[in-house]
Amino acid sequence: MATEVRLPRLGQGMESGTIVKWLKSEGDQVEKGEPLYELDTDKVTQEVEADASGVLLKIAVPEGEVEVGRTIGVIGEQGETVEVSAEPAAPAPEPQRAERAAPPEPAATPIRESSGNGRIKASPLARRIARERGIELSAVAGTGPEGRVVAEDVERATAPSVPQPAAPTPTPLPVSQDVEVVQLNSMRKTIARRLTEAWEAPVFQLGITVDMVRALQVRQRLVEIHGDGAKPTISDLLTKVCAAALMRNRAVNALYKGDAVELWPTANIGIAVAVPNGLVVPVIQSCERKTIAEIAAVRADLVERARGGSLRQGDLDGGTFTISNLGMFGIERFIAVLNPPQTAILAVGSTEEKPVVVDGEVVVRPRLELTLTCDHRAIDGATGARFLGDVKTFIEEPGLAL
Amino acid sequence: MPELSFREAVRDALSRAMRQDDDVFIMGEDIAEMGGSMGVTLGMLEEFGPERVRNTPISEMALAGAAIGAAMQGMRPVAEIMYEDFLTLATEQIVNQAAKHRYMSGGQVTVPVTFRTQGGAGWSPGAQHAQQLEAWFVHIPGLKVVFPSTPTDVRGLLWSSIYDDNPVVFFEHRTLYGLKEEVPEELEPIPLGQARVHRAGEDVTVIATGRLVHEALAAAEGAEQEGLSVEVVDPRTLQPLDEDALISSVKKTNRCVVAHEAVTRMGFGAEIAAIVQYGAFDWLDAPIERVGSKFTPLPFAPIMEDWVVPDAGDVLDAVRRTVGRT
Repeated sequence: MATEVRLPRLGQGMESGTIVKWLKSEGDQVEKGEPLYELDTDKVTQEVEADASGVLLKIAVPEGEVEVGRTIGVIGEQGETVEVSAEPAAPAPEPQRAERAAPPEPAATPIRESSGNGRIKASPLARRIARERGIELSAVAGTGPEGRVVAEDVERATAPSVPQPAAPTPTPLPVSQDVEVVQLNSMRKTIARRLTEAWEAPVFQLGITVDMVRALQVRQRLVEIHGDGAKPTISDLLTKVCAAALMRNRAVNALYKGDAVELWPTANIGIAVAVPNGLVVPVIQSCERKTIAEIAAVRADLVERARGGSLRQGDLDGGTFTISNLGMFGIERFIAVLNPPQTAILAVGSTEEKPVVVDGEVVVRPRLELTLTCDHRAIDGATGARFLGDVKTFIEEPGLAL
Repeated sequence: MPELSFREAVRDALSRAMRQDDDVFIMGEDIAEMGGSMGVTLGMLEEFGPERVRNTPISEMALAGAAIGAAMQGMRPVAEIMYEDFLTLATEQIVNQAAKHRYMSGGQVTVPVTFRTQGGAGWSPGAQHAQQLEAWFVHIPGLKVVFPSTPTDVRGLLWSSIYDDNPVVFFEHRTLYGLKEEVPEELEPIPLGQARVHRAGEDVTVIATGRLVHEALAAAEGAEQEGLSVEVVDPRTLQPLDEDALISSVKKTNRCVVAHEAVTRMGFGAEIAAIVQYGAFDWLDAPIERVGSKFTPLPFAPIMEDWVVPDAGDVLDAVRRTVGRT
């Protein structure tokens, strides 16, 4: 019995993915659990494992973007004939995406023969025309030598019959030779889409300056105690402190879902990590139950894998609050953009020696500026202020977080 | 308009330059009384005398060196290397001396010498008298390299080569000497570095040099019978090269065939293919095809020579491959 390989939904809100390449060729023996293809989603590039054993009879989609549920290949027994159903397997409806235009009818276009390694053979001109007109090369049958897609094939292929909403005009801009044009990769597209979404939220910011004397002492002790593992940082301490403050201010540990606000029981804190071509926000789950050393260990692993490009979808899901720290760049204060559907994000600056008045005397103390961005649809000023006040208290007197 | 053969066109350019300018003279093996092995300079001794039409000893190194020396002293010599194959003997002088002196003297010395030579297959000359070595010389900074294919072009380009202040290696194809064409009454100099579109077309660009220009034109006729429109472009000057003309032609046709008689491997066509793929990458609808001789010394036996050396049929096959017809 042949098993259809369908594009899985790997995380909340995933609607489509881009097949980067197949790790098996048609005719190859495949074992269940073996990496089958590389998938680029909104958040990560990862290897997807086969969920059946047998022979990879057909690669229906050698590369390119595919909606969740669409059949992309077939695993079965040697010699079995297969037909690929072009319909996506009834993907779970996404109400907030209802306005999105239906995808082009894939049945109308023949699925071209795969060249074996998953790469589509197409001439540079064919690729350029396809790119300019928004035509998916994988859906174009190649008539050139060895099935190569040539310009004529793309010219023949009709563009999607359903007009894409707000499709940019394909008119090429006059680009001077000095201008380097960098096409958005899937991660940058996600960043652009999600942050544009975030811009729609009515946000306000709250700023506060905290004294770091005690926090630095605590951190110093933690490093002495846990010197052999991942060295706890001020960021880890902040993560722990925020978790404690979130548990006392549940309204801030929330997701805004249009007609409802979900108050979460655990503080799942996302850490914004700069990676070579963008930004990812892996999540440390249940920080309220973890020690700072445990948080440091999880954080070190996530950051290392984020930079190495080997995060899994699960590493990025379930966040309820985000911390973005640019202190290491010497930034004293900044305003972070909301990470929807989360309702708050904390921007952390650098710890700086500053003159402050203590008991009527001007003294020099290490100071840190925190800026909280809140979604006003879910959080009011006083709620945010109480949370931020708790964060300040816990940093200045860590014992009170107990 | 007078009709001139390719041979007469070369002679015409030399004679006109020598009449106009006392600094121009010619030298080479048996070029005086005998008129050169190909008869190009026949009759010039009578007009210009032995001072300016000089026979040299049978030493390409010596005659090339003497020409370079004269050029550095302010003359505009045209030295004939009897066979292209014998350029190998003069290579030290051309590559290490002629090409370098202007650069090494910081521009204080110029070397306005022209080395005329001829070569090419098609008459059973065997392995040592028909090589096409233009790729050797286009690789050398400091040299200009010209390879004309018609009487009009050879006349106008030889003139520009003589009056260029840099050393020029000037290739003539043996089998083209008899080719006749009406040429303008007045010699019109053709600037070095300007390609010529021999035939406009829409589907495939054939970039050809020397004899292969004519093979390409014949192939274009054949292709037309099959409904394919072929554009034939002759760079004419290989160094400097009119890259813009080649790239813009391929941007129009989206397909490219490069054709020369020299062996394909590491040939001048490889450089053209590289330039075209870089300049017209997003316009290419098929891999660039190369047409050239098979990678072997030229066989003496005519039937084998025919098999090794490319002709119009090979160009047409390549044209068909670019449009997916095989």
